[in-house]
Amino acid sequence: MNVLVCIKQVPDMESKFRVDAAGTWYDTTELAWRMNEYDEYAVEQAVRLKEQVKDADITVLSIGSDKVKETMKKALAMGCDRGAHIADDNVSGKEPCEIAGVIAEYAKEKNFDVIFTGMQSQDRGSGQVGVLVAEMLTLPAVTTIVDFVYSDGRIEVKRELEGGIKAKVAFTSPAVVTCQLGLNTPRYPTLPNIMKAKKKELLSIPIKDLLKVDARQHTDKVYFPEKKGGGLIIEGEPAELADKLIQILKEKTGVLA
Amino acid sequence: MKLLLVAEYRDGKTLGNSNELIAFAEKVGGEHAMFMVGSVSSLPQYDGKLFLADAEKYGEYSPTVHKHLLLEVIGRENPEIIVFCHSSYGWDLAPRIAWALKAGQVSEVVDYVEGTLVVPMCNAKLRREVEVNTDVTVVTLQAGAFGLAELPTASPSVEQVDIDGTGAIEFLGYEEAEAGGVDLTKAEIIVSAGRGIGKPENVKMVADLAKALGGEYGASRPVVDSEWVEHTRQVGTTGQTVAPKLYVACGISGAIQHLAGMKKSEFVVAINTDKDAPIGDVADVLVVADLKQLVPMLTEKLNVR
Amino acid sequence: MIFQLTEEQNLIRNMVREFAETEIAPTAKKRDEEERFDRPLMFDKLGELGLTGIVFPEEYGGAGADYISYAIAVEELSRVCASTGVTLSAHLSLCANPIYLFGSEEQKQKYLVPLAAGEKLGAFGLTEPSAGSDAGGTKTTALRDGDEWILNGTKIFITSGGDAETYVIFARTDKEAKKHNGISAFIIEKGAAGFSFGKKEEKLGIRSSPTMELVFENCRLPAANLLGKEGEGFKVAMKTLDGGRIGIASQAIGIAQGAFETAVDYAKERKQFDTPIGKFQGIQFQLADMFTQIEAARLLVYKAAYRASKGLNYSTDSAMAKLMASETAMKVTTQAVQVLGGYGYTREFPVERMMRDAKITEIYEGTSEIQRLVIGSALIK
Repeated sequence: MNVLVCIKQVPDMESKFRVDAAGTWYDTTELAWRMNEYDEYAVEQAVRLKEQVKDADITVLSIGSDKVKETMKKALAMGCDRGAHIADDNVSGKEPCEIAGVIAEYAKEKNFDVIFTGMQSQDRGSGQVGVLVAEMLTLPAVTTIVDFVYSDGRIEVKRELEGGIKAKVAFTSPAVVTCQLGLNTPRYPTLPNIMKAKKKELLSIPIKDLLKVDARQHTDKVYFPEKKGGGLIIEGEPAELADKLIQILKEKTGVLA
Repeated sequence: MKLLLVAEYRDGKTLGNSNELIAFAEKVGGEHAMFMVGSVSSLPQYDGKLFLADAEKYGEYSPTVHKHLLLEVIGRENPEIIVFCHSSYGWDLAPRIAWALKAGQVSEVVDYVEGTLVVPMCNAKLRREVEVNTDVTVVTLQAGAFGLAELPTASPSVEQVDIDGTGAIEFLGYEEAEAGGVDLTKAEIIVSAGRGIGKPENVKMVADLAKALGGEYGASRPVVDSEWVEHTRQVGTTGQTVAPKLYVACGISGAIQHLAGMKKSEFVVAINTDKDAPIGDVADVLVVADLKQLVPMLTEKLNVR
Repeated sequence: MIFQLTEEQNLIRNMVREFAETEIAPTAKKRDEEERFDRPLMFDKLGELGLTGIVFPEEYGGAGADYISYAIAVEELSRVCASTGVTLSAHLSLCANPIYLFGSEEQKQKYLVPLAAGEKLGAFGLTEPSAGSDAGGTKTTALRDGDEWILNGTKIFITSGGDAETYVIFARTDKEAKKHNGISAFIIEKGAAGFSFGKKEEKLGIRSSPTMELVFENCRLPAANLLGKEGEGFKVAMKTLDGGRIGIASQAIGIAQGAFETAVDYAKERKQFDTPIGKFQGIQFQLADMFTQIEAARLLVYKAAYRASKGLNYSTDSAMAKLMASETAMKVTTQAVQVLGGYGYTREFPVERMMRDAKITEIYEGTSEIQRLVIGSALIK
């Protein structure tokens, strides 16, 4: 069995972000980087699938500068077999369709049985790449999975819908699934596996060899939303305050939808 | 500008988010029509044309079938913007449509300002303005980012849509939410009780408000220490660190240990009699009131809404 | 000279940090209060991650990593829980390591392999009521009786005592020989007839790590349990402590780092006179000193670890590292409590625990005075 896991290196969301000089992305210097949280679940599920079927080979793919190899090493230490690093020093400038195009171009003749991705990235958060890869490769795709069962080419998953409801769906491989938080418990890479990871294949491919899709959108501007600080103070009669507060919640938050 | 709004229907019912689509369309301006795979027995409130595919015939969500139904309508209508909610339905279907139309897709739109789409990035710490290079634009809207002051009361004029086709994904059924232990870190809305609630009986007041808002209730350290609320619900350095979309602090003064556990919340409401309480520093709205009066009133108003 | 961790070392740090923060940290406060050792959490899980045999070759169930990786692991555990840090350090440096260095192939297979795999927990017994760093004062005796040794005596302050399965113990095998000569090392397993446990110490810090008394009353051991050569126990003890100091120094760095980070976070949040206290120069200077001292001590620790990995003599290096790191830990944790003020003195914040935990690093595996003796005598000899 041939498995592909697509991962992204993202800043630790606890970081202090700054807007970059061009004003079209966050400044990537002085940030702590880690594996996109959703992708950790994707890697874990791929490794579990391999443990289940025994005879499987997992390729972990990531796009970015040499720095993303650190994150790929973690995936290798978790149990992926080889790494495909798509070298690109301007990955933040690529929109989801371009990223998906690169992955699809890489994957197209490699006969992957299952392609795992996170359901979205923590930084851009478009949630498009997994589905686009599937559409480009004309494979079935199921998003936001919180349960994954593989049996002899048939895959049964649960999709997380709103309000805690899940939809159970089934399909046959080859297919793409995008992983939601809570799908499993991602393992810590063990010491012996960390040591072994350095011996695993990690090939770099220049992005120009794979980029065949044109960008369909671009970022004009990145900025901080209006600062909190000195929030609104409302005083008055309770009934009046309750109405006012409900109105504010309607206008300022999405929770009363 | 011509928009096509993609409404949602699940398990026999139209979902309530269709008015967010309408609100967005009104903000953009221009004519619009709606599409839904649903049923005439549960139509969205919409004063316009609804292209309706029969859910009886096409079943629950099947990506390929819904894609082809929607493409059929797009072929008839030629919209410039196709609008989805950023939901498990929208984020699944939108990229398929975008790819089929060779259109750019902008996800989780929170605002539309003079022709540009605004989306959050990095856990909403930053905002991004995006422009699409293609003639057709596909967008998904962040839940709750767009709302109508008044709901339309009219029913739509319905035009049936039919295609032939099946999908590769077989729907097996729904599974309802499980009841059980609370995980505050996953809650999108948290209402917390502080020392200001006065006595254990008032925990219920706070829990009721949480329920009315569709969230979970939490508590500050002193309330947990008094064993009025179980420890799993404690927010703060010795409890949970949470970052919900809405955090309502009831009678919490805002000790630094508590603030450390909740200051990453997207929107903070503090209900406190003390205007100068430190919780005010992190609150978007500080309601100066006695929570014992305000909270039940708020709950009641939310419940009748 | 390259002041940069390798990719593996970085991965190990990230992994241990994530593990420590997610699994170890949440119960650190409670375990300290209850003086409770949680073996499944504080040891078995370390075994699953391959930390319990980190520096040993793969053929003995280890991970084949270097001493810097080991130092990083102890440091990261201690950053959230010093008791977990010392559990690993005592197990690996004081029990598994002498068996690796001095054990026969048979002993390595029998004892080291399960220790490295984390199936068995190890402990080390040198200190006695009248002998600590002065190993020559050892009163516990081991007398040869045919194919057996008969042990009698008491060992005190034994980290993981009672919970550990495998013990490396020092006893006098030659009453006539003077001081350091005539001491031998033995491997003893929990459950051996005549081997029992005395009182459990109630301590100021590292309260989640058990410290016990070991009692030997006509404890009979097969001859095969002698570790190293008869009469060379002192050498075994000294070599073992060289390595142990790297562990304790790393523990001290971890404690200091944990307290320092808490202080920085607090200084950014806490407002006085409408200004975060971190904006005040008085606080900034304190934080600057803390950070500088930690970094300096860390470099000494990594240097000692580097020399250990390269097979170079590191006795003085590890003594300097431990001296510097433990005194830094004490200073930094005390200062962190000061930065947090009244809150720092309460159990609401972890710095008071860290301050209590830091003190032991100046005491065990050779007090600061002993480290100065080690360093000083190397200079003068």
